[in-house]
Amino acid sequence: MLVFTFRRLNLFLFTMLVLTLLSFSLSFLFPGDAIINVSGAVNATPTQLLSIRAAYQSDENLFWQYIAYLQHIANGELGISMASQSQISTEILNLLPATIELSLVALVIAMFVGIPLGFIAAIKHNKPADNIILSVSMLGYSIPVFWLGLLAILTFSINFGWLPSAGQISLLFEIELITGIQFIDILLSDSPYKWQAFGDATAHIILPACVIAVAPATIFIRLARTSMIEVLGTSYIRAARSKGLTFQQIIFRHAIRNALIKIIRHVGLQFANLVTIAMVTEVIFSWPGIGRWLIESIYQRDYTAIQSGLLVLSCFIFVVHILTDFIYAALNPLARGKKHGS
Amino acid sequence: MARDKIYSEEIFPSPFMQHWQIFRKTPVAMLGFSCFIFLIVLAIFGPILAPHSPVEGQLDMLLLPPAWHVDGDISYLLGTDELGRDMLSRLMYGTSLTFGLSFIVVVISLVIGVVIGSLSALTTGLKSSFLNHFLDVILSIPSLLLAIIIVAILGPGISNTVWAVVIVLIPQFVHITRYAVKEESRKDYVLASRLDGASPFRILYYSIFPNIIDRIMSQATMAQSAAILDIATLGFLGLGAQIPLPEWGASLANGLDLFYIAPWTVYLPGLAILFAVVATNLVGEGIRHALKLRKER
Repeated sequence: MLVFTFRRLNLFLFTMLVLTLLSFSLSFLFPGDAIINVSGAVNATPTQLLSIRAAYQSDENLFWQYIAYLQHIANGELGISMASQSQISTEILNLLPATIELSLVALVIAMFVGIPLGFIAAIKHNKPADNIILSVSMLGYSIPVFWLGLLAILTFSINFGWLPSAGQISLLFEIELITGIQFIDILLSDSPYKWQAFGDATAHIILPACVIAVAPATIFIRLARTSMIEVLGTSYIRAARSKGLTFQQIIFRHAIRNALIKIIRHVGLQFANLVTIAMVTEVIFSWPGIGRWLIESIYQRDYTAIQSGLLVLSCFIFVVHILTDFIYAALNPLARGKKHGS
Repeated sequence: MARDKIYSEEIFPSPFMQHWQIFRKTPVAMLGFSCFIFLIVLAIFGPILAPHSPVEGQLDMLLLPPAWHVDGDISYLLGTDELGRDMLSRLMYGTSLTFGLSFIVVVISLVIGVVIGSLSALTTGLKSSFLNHFLDVILSIPSLLLAIIIVAILGPGISNTVWAVVIVLIPQFVHITRYAVKEESRKDYVLASRLDGASPFRILYYSIFPNIIDRIMSQATMAQSAAILDIATLGFLGLGAQIPLPEWGASLANGLDLFYIAPWTVYLPGLAILFAVVATNLVGEGIRHALKLRKER
């Protein structure tokens, strides 16, 4: 496990190096002055500009500029937004939790729908149930998410009027921002309408989360199906069967556990996919998350925001990636490294 | 009686032909393949076949519903949008923009990715490890996010979208080629040809490529469906194709304001995207199915 941790740490450091290099080079690639792009100080007076230049060491060579950039990031200074002139780090801290909340709910929905369906398909391998589940899953990952979102709004918000179509919570409720994650904030607040607010927030999250969950769920179906088919073909399942265990005992005690482990490994990879889908969905459902903010900053040519948004979002995805790797390794001893003699 | 035993020697079809023979026998895959061919033909000849102009509107024919509707007009089969532009013609022109461009995008990134991937498979040691890590990083960034960043650097527009998607797709091809080449070069037939004194490039070209082409094709179909969705999504977000262009995602975004009054302006482009992606995925499924069957033989 120590070697495994060390390797992951190594990969993590390398990734951070590449990501920061990428985001550092963005300030030169974007149109305009690099120092203004990186700091966002469009309205700075010449004296302010001089001090910013000194802070980012822009008279030194590229290496020292990069080091200065790293120092700024380490201090949590991501510059100020070109459009609103407010600190990007506070903006991101306010917006990122909403995205995390939405993607986590979507991930949970996707896993709880996708994995059981995949197992059913695997158990009924090559039967009508399998084919139906596979065809539906194919449709699910072919559907463009923005179209699906619009259809969902038209059907469930406009035609039926069941669920709200935009935002995170009704504006009537005043919830103090503590953690940024709406549900926790509501539970922490001492408002008398706490439970109404909770219900309202739930109603708001259902539609976007379901729309986001469709594509990952179909991928979980396929992953669960393949890993279950693989597990059912192994010799330990045959041994269990020859021991005289019933089919249910085999599935619930042996097959599901071993099949689940293989799926957990892919959750990290799917998360990146899910966050991309979430970005587009946030635009459609006016969800106050980082994806919508990032796309709006592109409309406004807010290069500082784009640069920092990319850095934060990809770091976040990578951290989730590494975390799932650790969970996988903790659950599955085989993944921690090659065993001698195997 | 069949004439296949006239000659004494047996014919060994190339891996690609073997693959095609299995592929041909899967009806669903062939259905997807014919839809795929249909879309390619439409992408090439769509502008000639289209009955109306995609950008010039008929001001007396605003928001005409599709022909099967009571108020529909048969000369505007799928209705018109808010500027009186024929939806059918817009969709046909859109085929060459969304589907045709995504096909070109995949071909370009396939060529570049396969070249880089096979060259990198020949290298070992630090360089190879560095590349591996670097690819991991690039692959961990969501493709759409990367495309959005590239569009932000280059500025919005359809040609910049194409370049962005090309750049995004290259790492996937590099990864899959590198992996496949490494896996194949461990096999005995490659060793045999190496013992014969073949140079690395000769081995790559004559021994390895024919055996990995199906895997690359399978990746290409996945890349194509991703490319269609990415181009359409960028168009929808207003970062890709600009206003008068009938790109599917952009025309869908165009119909948004009138969604409730004229739902067909949103339904139809969405259906077109869905159709193109499903056709591509069916072909991909067929290829993967054939791959699996061939492996089991």
